[in-house]
Amino acid sequence: MSENSLGLSLNGKPRHFEKVPDAERLLDTIRWRAGLKGTKEGCRTGDCGACMVLVNGEPTLSCLVLSREVAEEKITTIEGLSTEKVGRLVIAAFEEAGAVQCGYCTPGFVVALAAQLGGRGPPPPLETLLDGLEGNLCRCTGYLAIQKAVAAAREAI
Amino acid sequence: MSFQLVHPSTPAEAVRLLSGSATGDIAVLSGGTDLLLDLDNARLAPKRVLSLRKLPWRYLRWSADSLVIGSTTPLRAVENDGEVRRRLPGLWEAIRDVGSPALRSRATLGGNLGRGSPASDLIPILLALDARVRVVGPGGVRELPVDLLLQGSRRTTLGPAELIESVTLPASAPSTYLWQRVQPVNDISQVGVATAFVPQGPHWRIALGGVQPRARRMSEAEGVLPSARPSHFEVELAAQEAARRAEFVSDKRATESYRRRLVAVLVRRAIQTTLERMSKATPSRKAKR
Repeated sequence: MSENSLGLSLNGKPRHFEKVPDAERLLDTIRWRAGLKGTKEGCRTGDCGACMVLVNGEPTLSCLVLSREVAEEKITTIEGLSTEKVGRLVIAAFEEAGAVQCGYCTPGFVVALAAQLGGRGPPPPLETLLDGLEGNLCRCTGYLAIQKAVAAAREAI
Repeated sequence: MSFQLVHPSTPAEAVRLLSGSATGDIAVLSGGTDLLLDLDNARLAPKRVLSLRKLPWRYLRWSADSLVIGSTTPLRAVENDGEVRRRLPGLWEAIRDVGSPALRSRATLGGNLGRGSPASDLIPILLALDARVRVVGPGGVRELPVDLLLQGSRRTTLGPAELIESVTLPASAPSTYLWQRVQPVNDISQVGVATAFVPQGPHWRIALGGVQPRARRMSEAEGVLPSARPSHFEVELAAQEAARRAEFVSDKRATESYRRRLVAVLVRRAIQTTLERMSKATPSRKAKR
């Protein structure tokens, strides 16, 4: 492998990119090289959660990760989740609850919630699920509808 | 911003790479949640970034009397260990207060410690638990109390080619961590208060964060708590003593006098909470009576 090429496992598929600087963030590789624009750039300081993706199933802020640091891990974005059962259920719950205003924070919320609902066994208590969304900000402040969506998604699992 | 990322796979190789670089030319990357911000705003502009990712330092090792946490273990992994919550409640609380779950899946214990921020939510509880730090460097391995690692704001006594390998804690200790913030999330604490009760030696430990020039133990306040079961009066006295002795600054998050008042209240609550946890930790005592 040449020094500048980068291999990533993205949504279950091996992807290969050329001339990737070592300083490149996972967020930028996902959006600008892989062209997956569902992952959003919000604050770029790890505060807002809009850039959230899964790394080996763990919610992770892609703005604060160098792409090369996760070259050996499994990365799942909102696009990948939308083809899986749990992801689809969560997305449907957000749609039905009208938990989308401008929509910019929505992929991050869906990723953070789907990660918590994806495990085996019964879903965690509602309060635990809401705690798990502590790092996701909705600048439209549409939290009530989001809470309803979380409760509905939990019931639907 | 451009740099070369290097991934040593052994501690010896990492130390060699650090030794061979001029200070400022190389930066150490653990979880990256702070470092990447410094690189973004050009506070740091290293030629090379040394990632600790391939070093075998991700672990929690329990023994009869200690817990050793590898320095690159993500905080989330410590938080998710059920024994940590049960045996070291103050540590669990402090970790839960760092950032958000997604941040904690990257941020590491060694990174937080090596950073040495006066506002760290983890350093006060590590001080209160008498944590020891294992450091590797050109001269081999050395171990020191966390108190001797900290120097000032963002300054530690680590040499330029030294790395934190692990942190050793007691296997269990009734303990508490409390903080006050302007807003509960996405903010750093105005002050943080950690208390712990250790069976050996002087029993009580009180440590403060958000004070100058670095987080510190409050031995004067600890001295006011001679027994395992201090009276309300002694607890109040210890709280006042901690508030009186600590050095605070006024900044955008709080004035000096407000921080002082917070410490008095939080030290009292933290000791009370720790006392409640001690009662719960020994349920057999009531049964025997």
